[in-house]
Amino acid sequence: MRRIISTLIVVALALVMTTPLMATAPQEEGEIVLNFPTFWVGQDSKAEPIADLVESFNAEHASEIRVVIEANPDTDGYRDKINTQMAAGQAPDIFVFAPDPTTFQYYDSDILMDFTEELQGSWRNDFVPGYIEESTKNGRTKSVPYEIGLTPIWYNSELFAQAGVDEFPATIEEFQDAADALKAAGIVPTSQMTGGSNAWTSMLWYSHIVGSLGGPDVWSKPLSDPLFVEAAEVLLRMYQDGNTTRDAVGGDAGVSGGHYMAGNTAMFINGPWYIGRIRGDAPETYAATRLAPAPQVGDYYGHQLGFMLSNLAAANTDDERKRDAVITFMQYMTDPDNVKLVSEAAGSLFAIKYELGADADPLQREFVRAASEATFVIGLFSSRYPVDVVAEFGQALAAMALGEATPAEFVEMLIEVNN
Amino acid sequence: MFLSPALILFALYFVYPLGFVFATSTLDWNGISNARFVGLRNYLDNFQSRTFQISIRNNFIWVASLGFVQISLAALVAMILARQPRGWRFFRTVYFLPNVISQVAIAMMWAALYNAEYGAINQFLELLGLEHLTHNWLGEIGTALPSILIQQVFYIGYFMIIILASIMSIPESYYSAAQIDGANVLQQEIHITLPMIRPILVTAMTLAMAYGLRHFEATFLLTNGGPAHRTSVLGIQLYKMFSALDYGHANAIGGTLVIIGLVLIAVIRSTLGRHADASDMTQ
Repeated sequence: MRRIISTLIVVALALVMTTPLMATAPQEEGEIVLNFPTFWVGQDSKAEPIADLVESFNAEHASEIRVVIEANPDTDGYRDKINTQMAAGQAPDIFVFAPDPTTFQYYDSDILMDFTEELQGSWRNDFVPGYIEESTKNGRTKSVPYEIGLTPIWYNSELFAQAGVDEFPATIEEFQDAADALKAAGIVPTSQMTGGSNAWTSMLWYSHIVGSLGGPDVWSKPLSDPLFVEAAEVLLRMYQDGNTTRDAVGGDAGVSGGHYMAGNTAMFINGPWYIGRIRGDAPETYAATRLAPAPQVGDYYGHQLGFMLSNLAAANTDDERKRDAVITFMQYMTDPDNVKLVSEAAGSLFAIKYELGADADPLQREFVRAASEATFVIGLFSSRYPVDVVAEFGQALAAMALGEATPAEFVEMLIEVNN
Repeated sequence: MFLSPALILFALYFVYPLGFVFATSTLDWNGISNARFVGLRNYLDNFQSRTFQISIRNNFIWVASLGFVQISLAALVAMILARQPRGWRFFRTVYFLPNVISQVAIAMMWAALYNAEYGAINQFLELLGLEHLTHNWLGEIGTALPSILIQQVFYIGYFMIIILASIMSIPESYYSAAQIDGANVLQQEIHITLPMIRPILVTAMTLAMAYGLRHFEATFLLTNGGPAHRTSVLGIQLYKMFSALDYGHANAIGGTLVIIGLVLIAVIRSTLGRHADASDMTQ
C-alpha cells in the first residue's frame, strides 16, 4: 500500500513539474489556441469592439487559430500580472504592453517575440511613421505599436460661458484671470489628483507646463534643470486658492474625472479613450467639451502631449505554427479597417494609418485637429521616467500641496528616487 | 513516509520561496537580465530611505492598533454577547458580517464615506453645524492614517467570534459560585473570564499583530501610501519596488518583514504567551 501511495505521489509530482514543458511543446497539428489577457474588457470603451474583432478573427480562422480573451479589468493589476509572468519567464501568448522605460527592460530578454523582420516588410506601411522606431530598442522591435495617446486640455465651454470667459486662456496670466472668473461664478477651475499610481491628471498638467518652459527637447534636460522647479511652482498654484477641488490631494482618476463629468470643474486632461466614457455617462458635459493646448508658461506654446499608450506583444516561441498564428493575429488587429472600427467605437487613436469615417465622433475629430495643429509634440513625464519615479510624483506633489515641501523639494524628491 | 507529501509541499511552497526571497534580496536584479550580488546593500539602502522609515513606523502603529485596540474591543463585545442579552445572535452576525465581504468593496465604501467633497462624514458634520471639523480625511497629513486605522480596527468580528467561543466554553458553575460569593458582573469578568480566555487572547493578539505587520489592502485601496507617504507600510513599499522591477530592494523588504515577524512572535511568546501557558496550567 505504501509503495502504491509513494508511486502515486511521484507520478503526481512529475506531472506537476512537466505540465509547463508540455504546454510549450510545439503543436504539430490541430487548432492553435492563443490566450490574450487584456484590460480592454468590462467598462473599458474598447471592450466591445475588441471582443467583436476577436470573434470575427476566430470565425475567419475556425479550427486553425482561436484567440481567447482573458479578462483583467484592473490596469494596475494587469501590469502586476504581466510583471510576475515575465519574471517567471512565462509571458502570455499575446498581451498589451505598456511602452515605458520600465517595461522596455523586457526587451533585454528573449521572452518576447521579435517582430523586427515582419515589420521590415509591407506591414510597416500600415503604421504612422515614427512609432515603429519608438518601439525598437537595440535594433529589435519586440512589440507592435497599437494605441496612442494625445492629452490636450479638456474644458467645459458651458461653464466658461457661465463665468463670462469666451475663449480658452492662451497664457498663464489669462489662465489665472479665467480661474478667478470661474471661482466667482461658483465653479472650481481644474480637476487635479495626487493619488493613483501616477497622479495622472496632475502629471499631465505638469508635463504640459514643462513643455511650455523647455520646448521640444525638454525631456533631454535633467531633473536638476531649474525649469522643473518653475513648473512645480505653477502646478502648486493650481492646488491653491480654490483652483481645484478639496479632495484633489489623495484623489484618484475617479475623483478627477468624476468632478469634470459632473460639471463641478471646468478643466481636465485626459486622452481620447475617455470619449466613450464621458459620452455615455455625462452627455451634457460631453456636448460642452472643447479641447485646447495648455496655456503658455514659458517660451513655447501650442504643443501637445503625445505618446504610445499600448503596444501589442507576444511570448517568444520556437513553434513556427504558433509564431505564424500570433503574427496573423497581430496583422489582423493592426489592419487599418479593423483599427478604424475600434477607433470609431471607442474614441481612441492609433499608431496605424486610417481615415475616420464621416460619422466619427466630433470630439474625436477635435483630437485629430489638436494633433495636426500642434506646434510640437512631446512625451509625458511617465513616458520619460521609470515607474518608481512616476509613483513618487504623486507623493511629492501631495507633500508640496500640503505645505510639507517647497517646489524645489518636490523636484528633489523626484531626483532622489531617480538616482 | 506518511509525512513526506506534507514535507515536500512545505518545502515547495514555504522553504523554497522563503529561501528565494532572502537569496534575491542580496541581488541587484530586475527579474529579466543577469543578477549582480550586492550583499546587504539593498537592506542598507532601505533602512536609509525616509519612506522606508515612515513605513516601518506605520507598520508598528498597525501592529499596536490591531494587537491591543482591536483585540480589546473584540474581547469587550464578546464578553457582552456571552451574557446573551436580547438579540445577541443578531449582533453576533452583524459584527461578523464584514468578514465575509470583499476588502475591496469595504474600502470603496469607506473611500466614499471619507470623501471631502461629497462624503457622508463631512455632510453629517455640516448638518450638525460643525463645518470646522470637516476634513479631507484621506488627503491630510494628520487624518489619513487614523482614518484607515479606524475603519480597520472596528472590524472586530473575526476575533470576536473566536473569543466568544472561548468564553462560552467556560463552565457556568464558575460564575454561579462567584455570584454566591457576591461578585458583581465586572468582578466576574475580570477575575473569571479574562484569566480563563488568556491563552486565546494571546493567540488572537499574535494573529492580529501578524496582520498588522503584513497590512496592505486597505491602505493600498484608500491612499496608496499617501499623502506624502504618510500612510505607507512596508507592504506598499514592497509592491511599488516590485512594480518598478526592483526585485532586490523589494525582496529585502520582504526579508525584513520576515525577520520582524519572527522577533515579534518570539517576544509575544516569551512575555504574554509564557504567562498564558502558566495560567493554562493553573486552570
